[in-house]
Amino acid sequence: MSRVLIISFILFPFLGLLFGLPSPIRLDEVLMNTVFYVISLAVINVWLGLGTAWWLIFTESRWRTLVEWLVFIPLFIPVMASMFGMYIVLANVGLVGTYAGVLLVLLVSTLPYSIRLAYNAMYVIGRPLLEQTMTLPPLPRFSMVLFPLLAATMRTIVLFSTVIVLGQFVLVQLIGAGLIPTVTTQLYQSYAGNDVSLALQNTWVLILLPVLLYIGLGGLFRAAVRIMKERLR
Amino acid sequence: MSLVVTKIQKNFKQRDVLNGVDLIVDKKEIHALVGVSGSGKSTLLRIIAGLETADTGTVTWDGEPLLGTPPHKRRITMLSQSPLLFPHLSVGENVTLATQNRSREQAEAWLDRVRLPGRYDDDIHELSGGEQQRVSFARALAAEPRLILLDEPFTNLDPDLKYELQRLIRDLVQQLELTALLVTHDREEAMLVADRVTLLEDGEVLATGTPGELYETEPAFGDFIELSGSSYPATMMEVTEEAGEPVVLVRQLNRFGNRLGEYRLATGTYVILPRDESFQVGETYYLRKKKGVV
Repeated sequence: MSRVLIISFILFPFLGLLFGLPSPIRLDEVLMNTVFYVISLAVINVWLGLGTAWWLIFTESRWRTLVEWLVFIPLFIPVMASMFGMYIVLANVGLVGTYAGVLLVLLVSTLPYSIRLAYNAMYVIGRPLLEQTMTLPPLPRFSMVLFPLLAATMRTIVLFSTVIVLGQFVLVQLIGAGLIPTVTTQLYQSYAGNDVSLALQNTWVLILLPVLLYIGLGGLFRAAVRIMKERLR
Repeated sequence: MSLVVTKIQKNFKQRDVLNGVDLIVDKKEIHALVGVSGSGKSTLLRIIAGLETADTGTVTWDGEPLLGTPPHKRRITMLSQSPLLFPHLSVGENVTLATQNRSREQAEAWLDRVRLPGRYDDDIHELSGGEQQRVSFARALAAEPRLILLDEPFTNLDPDLKYELQRLIRDLVQQLELTALLVTHDREEAMLVADRVTLLEDGEVLATGTPGELYETEPAFGDFIELSGSSYPATMMEVTEEAGEPVVLVRQLNRFGNRLGEYRLATGTYVILPRDESFQVGETYYLRKKKGVV
């Protein structure tokens, strides 16, 4: 009974969508911008997340605790609180209203989560087993051991950063200065303008992007691990 | 000479773990590093493997500096207390991964050598602890290392399995003419497996020598007993001749090398360790356990 209740709560927001069919999704600038940010941030988050977590696991630096605190500050201070500070800095270096500025601000709000996810995964695998990989050259170390062991974490990082990126309206609007339209910003505008058709299309994009990414990445990662294992047979 | 460790210093949180350690391990030698927990022996091993950095000092192999060289370029492998096999790979895949050209044939040959033939496709979770440790050893050998580091690899095994694996590792290291550095706090293990022993206490080397030399000289003997389990006395056996007849004397010694008692062996069957070579008059042997009455 409780499971039915929980599932009902989760599905409740989506029920309304079943009453309206999505209009054909256009491959316009808005969608391309969104896909660009999703892919760029996914790649950077996986790369920097795993790299920083690896450093935190292995470093003997006396600054480790301080760095750990600094890296995780955005986890407990809401992004909105640091947003204006970021705006001032980015405005001074001329990054407001640019793709790079928006990318940077989205990275700041997603990276701490990625590092924490990767760190927890490596902590569970254990330092001794990770050390055992160090006798292998970097490429086989990553492709044949670390990638298969961390594939599920990488998938979670990608999805987590994607969902955060798709959910950020204020950050993109402020740092993008209204010049960088994404599905999220357009969705707010279509709400305000009562454009139901456009709102429905963007909503379906917001749903489909993570779902397709989840299914696609799952298949891709499984295939990659299978290919890797074939090389050892 | 092969591995030369010079004046290695390591400090963890204001505590000197290694305090100017010097160590020489000759080629094709099995060298044991004996010491109690916290004496710095595992830290030294990790520095040699490249998993830890040294504050000062040098580590060289045939004159080639190793510190600063990435672990995968040192040609050094390590066998730990736990097997540390990669859980997503089968038994054989774990070994294949370590071979130079990712060869299944080579991996199967290594599995044969550690007495696990036909287990290539088995899941690692299907193996017992001792079998997993043998796979781990096969993996360490498959990388064709010039030095193999053994960090208390027999600790979690039951006595019979422990003895079997000790013999297997000693025999294979000797057959393949490898150099090995074994870390242990077990005197019998050091005597059974090693050609030479170095005693380490509080990050400093106390003595180095063959097990026999350490047994026969003071203060090394006392240190050896104390650092490798002083709760039980050392047993020493001497084969001498009296009137043309071999006489076997058994001596029990305390940690100071004093004789607790001396016995002549009665007729019976005895298991002699560390080496099972035939007896020779004038040689000294060490008893591990015995059958019969002394």
